[in-house]
Amino acid sequence: MNSTMLAGSSPGMPAPSGEPSGILVGMQNIGKTYPNGTIAVQNVNLLAGEREFLCFVGPSGCGKSTIFNMIAGLTDHTSGELAVLGTTPKDARKQNEIAFVFQEHTLLPWSKLIDNVTMPLTLRGVSKKERIQEGERVLELVGLKDYMKVLPRQLSGGMKMRVSIARALISRPKLLLMDEPFGALDEITRQTLQDELLNIWCSDRKMTVLFITHNVFEAVYLSTRVVVMTPRPGKVADIVDIEAPFPRTDDFRSSPEFGGYVHAVNESLKH
Amino acid sequence: MEKLVVSVNGIPEQGGVEATSVQKLEPAPQKRKAGASSGSPLRKFATHIAPPLIVLILFLGFWELAIRLADVKPYLFPKPSDIVKAAAENGHNLLVSVRTTIVEAVLGFAFSVILGVAFAIVLALSKTVERSVYPYAIILQTIPIVAVAPIIVIWFGAGMNAIVMIAFLIAFFPILSNTLIGLNSTEANMKNLFYLYNATKWQTIWKLRIPAALPYILAGMKISCSLSVVGAIVGEYIAGIGGLQGGLGYAITVASTRLQTAYLFACGLSAAVMGIVFFLLINALSNRLLRSWHDSAING
Repeated sequence: MNSTMLAGSSPGMPAPSGEPSGILVGMQNIGKTYPNGTIAVQNVNLLAGEREFLCFVGPSGCGKSTIFNMIAGLTDHTSGELAVLGTTPKDARKQNEIAFVFQEHTLLPWSKLIDNVTMPLTLRGVSKKERIQEGERVLELVGLKDYMKVLPRQLSGGMKMRVSIARALISRPKLLLMDEPFGALDEITRQTLQDELLNIWCSDRKMTVLFITHNVFEAVYLSTRVVVMTPRPGKVADIVDIEAPFPRTDDFRSSPEFGGYVHAVNESLKH
Repeated sequence: MEKLVVSVNGIPEQGGVEATSVQKLEPAPQKRKAGASSGSPLRKFATHIAPPLIVLILFLGFWELAIRLADVKPYLFPKPSDIVKAAAENGHNLLVSVRTTIVEAVLGFAFSVILGVAFAIVLALSKTVERSVYPYAIILQTIPIVAVAPIIVIWFGAGMNAIVMIAFLIAFFPILSNTLIGLNSTEANMKNLFYLYNATKWQTIWKLRIPAALPYILAGMKISCSLSVVGAIVGEYIAGIGGLQGGLGYAITVASTRLQTAYLFACGLSAAVMGIVFFLLINALSNRLLRSWHDSAING
């Protein structure tokens, strides 16, 4: 099994732009065992290159979020090698090249949208003028430029998630980590946001997205590769390349090709 | 105000649904405006203010009548009319006492807010400090203030200083414990986010934990503001006047030794009113600070 995974993730695999890609996240035999003996993740080998959109899909308990937390540096791996942006996760974070989106919108309820989206810049001590400029840019990207002075509670769930994404984009990250960002949204909003996210990603293709989901359709629709994970213990069962071209539209969602990919991912999940 | 609500509801996300809700909303403010000049305050009076007022009038009437009929001496149990008369006769003294007590209570309260919040921040910064110090804060709180007060008088001298100190001590703990709970109940996700964006400990405190704790701090302040009035009066009981004009607690002790029971009642009621006004002020402050974002202050 390890050999197929390595084959699937070798640097020679087709990157979407066809250019040779640098490695943003490299995992070699990564494992995480909790002190009580629970194995959260076992023997994960994976390379995430530049400009990739990588979806981790699997049922709850398969270690998707643990992988996210390890890359973010929120938790340590207990075996194997993990490199993020060529260094340790904690040092990588200091470069301000990584951004995060959680399932919860995690907006500050007392701050206006402009202050919420510019929060990462505020923490870094960026000047107010530049903050406002960048804040307007990212709010425009997610179509909320008119709501700069509004508080989060006045927005719908989908709009809050847009703001959350805008906040992640403000530092023009090389690596965007998303942990089930659309998990709490209704299907219609979810599809709209999938399209918007893909549009943003396609428009300059400068960032790699690692996207965690339990929704197979979402994973296939969004990604260049789907990492299929299975639980007990959490490990990578398969990696499925999604070779459909971008930009993708609703036509892709209803194409036989799409059904084929979904079938392939589902088959791997059953292993 | 209504305009703002409409514009917020009119966010053009899912066009059709929002448009209808705007149309539905628009006639309502007009109706409310039409009724605002005469009907609405009157209705509010009839439903909210009149019932307790009627109860109060009935209660006072019964009190007055019962004492008159039973012919109880005013120094044992004064009638409402005796209390009003006593308050009017000693109007100047009462005013001076009230003023003195207000100053003491406000000072004690102010110190309790400043030190309570500051101390809570120190405890929240380090789990180790919190674990080692907080138990003693609880123990200090459980010692009855009346037992501590004489020591404070010995240390700070009879008068203003000791009274403010006692008011402070009694009001301090609710602020401390509420603020600490507030600082410690920041959402884990939010803290992670700040951590991931390399926020310093102070940035996390100032930009996340203190604002998130604000509802808790204000809840503590609501408790403490009335307590500080109690503390000031207890302080005056024990510390006396110390060369200044005596506060309500002092006036109460004097009135009771002279059997001026009606005036004693007047002083007690003044203290109650003071506590209520103090609470309402803090409550208004709380609503003002929180109404834009916190559920507790948002009324439909």
